[in-house]
Amino acid sequence: MGYPYSHPSEVSIISKHFGDPGARTLDGWMKNGGYDGLKKALSMSPEEVIEIVKNSGLRGRGGAGFPTGLKWSFMPKDSGKPHYLLCNADESEPGTFKDRELIRWTPHQLIEGCIIGAYAIGAEQVYIYCRGEFFEANQVLGKAVEDAYEAGILGENIFGSGSTIELTVHAGAGAYICGEETGLMNSLEGKRGEPRIKPPFPAAAGVFGLPTTINNVETLSVIPHIVREGSDWYRQWGTEKSPGTKLFCVSGHVERPGNYELPLGFPLRKLIEDVCGGIKDKKNLKAVIPGGSSVPILSKEQVESCLLSYEGVQEAGSMLGCASVIVMDENTDIVHQVTRMASFYAHESCGQCTPCREGTAWVTNILKKMEAGQGKEEDLETLIELTDQMTGTTICVLSDSVAAPVQSSIEHFRGEYQKLLNNGGGYD
Amino acid sequence: MSSPKKNPGWAGNTGEYELTEADVRGTAFVGKRPLEGGHPSASATYPYMLAAKDPEAPLFEGPYLERFEKILTRYPKKRAALLPTLSLAQEIRGYVSPETMDEVASLLELSSAYVRGVTTFYTMYNKQPVGKYLIQVCTNISCNLCGAEDVLKAFLKETGTALGEISLDGNFSVIEAECLAGCGFPTCVQINSKYFENVESQDVGELLRTLVAELSIDSVKEKGDE
Repeated sequence: MGYPYSHPSEVSIISKHFGDPGARTLDGWMKNGGYDGLKKALSMSPEEVIEIVKNSGLRGRGGAGFPTGLKWSFMPKDSGKPHYLLCNADESEPGTFKDRELIRWTPHQLIEGCIIGAYAIGAEQVYIYCRGEFFEANQVLGKAVEDAYEAGILGENIFGSGSTIELTVHAGAGAYICGEETGLMNSLEGKRGEPRIKPPFPAAAGVFGLPTTINNVETLSVIPHIVREGSDWYRQWGTEKSPGTKLFCVSGHVERPGNYELPLGFPLRKLIEDVCGGIKDKKNLKAVIPGGSSVPILSKEQVESCLLSYEGVQEAGSMLGCASVIVMDENTDIVHQVTRMASFYAHESCGQCTPCREGTAWVTNILKKMEAGQGKEEDLETLIELTDQMTGTTICVLSDSVAAPVQSSIEHFRGEYQKLLNNGGGYD
Repeated sequence: MSSPKKNPGWAGNTGEYELTEADVRGTAFVGKRPLEGGHPSASATYPYMLAAKDPEAPLFEGPYLERFEKILTRYPKKRAALLPTLSLAQEIRGYVSPETMDEVASLLELSSAYVRGVTTFYTMYNKQPVGKYLIQVCTNISCNLCGAEDVLKAFLKETGTALGEISLDGNFSVIEAECLAGCGFPTCVQINSKYFENVESQDVGELLRTLVAELSIDSVKEKGDE
């Protein structure tokens, strides 16, 4: 169920036990069919498990939407080397707040998904890289891991299957870029969290230079259900290209913000007006960011027909990302919000690539200057040219992420920028 | 459809869910925080930011030594223990001074320069001393849309500090934070190890008074119980 509000349109699979402290414990989880998926997986071959996940069409929930089963199948067979499964729990994309809920309400759901994933890719060690700020959620997860070890669900000979899988929870230390998969790997190795040039891809040389698969918390949390119920069952929701359900994190100017689990392909307008109770204080809608701060802003007109699937949001002119829907009402100061986002990226740039290190700071400075009423008409063109040069020119996509809000806001709300030029700018 | 209910501090008790703060935070489930780290696989998850800080405390002794040794067992390379080790050092000392970096470097057989390079990359390591309570106010987009800048101003005003400074009584440091992943419950504020959600500027005064009252609790007891 949605948390802290729910809605009848929801399909509760991974969020079924949100707000249910009883399901946090091992006993509580077992009573609700917990670890049945794992038992079933252990009775099959790893290839069969990968096949189920492939057939389900599950796409990675961390933002890129890469098919999970396919990713798992890239892992080498009989490499003779240790393999690793990493769970990316470094949730830090502005607007995203689903993984912390998954961890704190249903830690065993995640652990079960991790063990199944590790079994499928032949990994004996799992690391869950948890955002360091999540003190409470981390400790809930730590306690659940201890309980799982005590019950023989982790460690040697899991459920008498002969399989050994170790799982370690590793807390990060505050860096947005560690949510990027290779940045996370460097961070886990005790280095600065700087992303790596690909290739080599993680399946060939990941953490500690060994074959590695990395999946998001939400992706791994749904795995036990898919394995238990089958791929056809999962495909009954969603669209052909985006099967299943997804947690939508809705924030900003709505009456009932929170997480809602909905079938992919759900209309964005219905999510805002119906599920979330409409815009706060009955105001009008101005714009929506549908997938976290790194994706283009949608105008009110684009929102009208936008369907929340990977392909649907792309058609509407943005990206689903991690389905972090940020809603802005008519009074929102777009330039101010874009400036705030740009300064976030400037703060979080790791500094390896020149276009990003210099570009994020430069963009922020121009925007701040405009906000202060010292901008010029040509600054808008400079912003577009600059962000063009920051796209596709760096190791990771942090740099590209600045272009999305800047360019889309200039496209849809050029008038708001120009107003700052014409009246000398400045805010009250 | 029930109407939204404001619940400053922790989100959840909206009328649809009848939950206690302990239910939401999971405190009863976690129980007493194992200072020695509990199971080695969980040992790296237990660092806390404590109000009691001792910059002169040794690295590491007693249960902290146990926790450090458990952390070392979880990685194929010693260097991988660097982040958890720095977090543990900060739990005890309150911040990571250049001297602390040197000590951690020698414990993990790394160079001091390397450890400095890593420490300065991550925002959660305090490079300077902070107040007993480190208050981090999210002002990123979702919170910003819902008044986070006013909340930040209220914290600065009520504590009488400038951004990043320690208040005269030594109790508070206030900084601006990037997204804390509590976007549905604006404004999200992290105070030491705790998230406070749905915070509005008018809640700030009372919140600070509660925090000050908690300081009078014996610091030894606090270390064990948190």
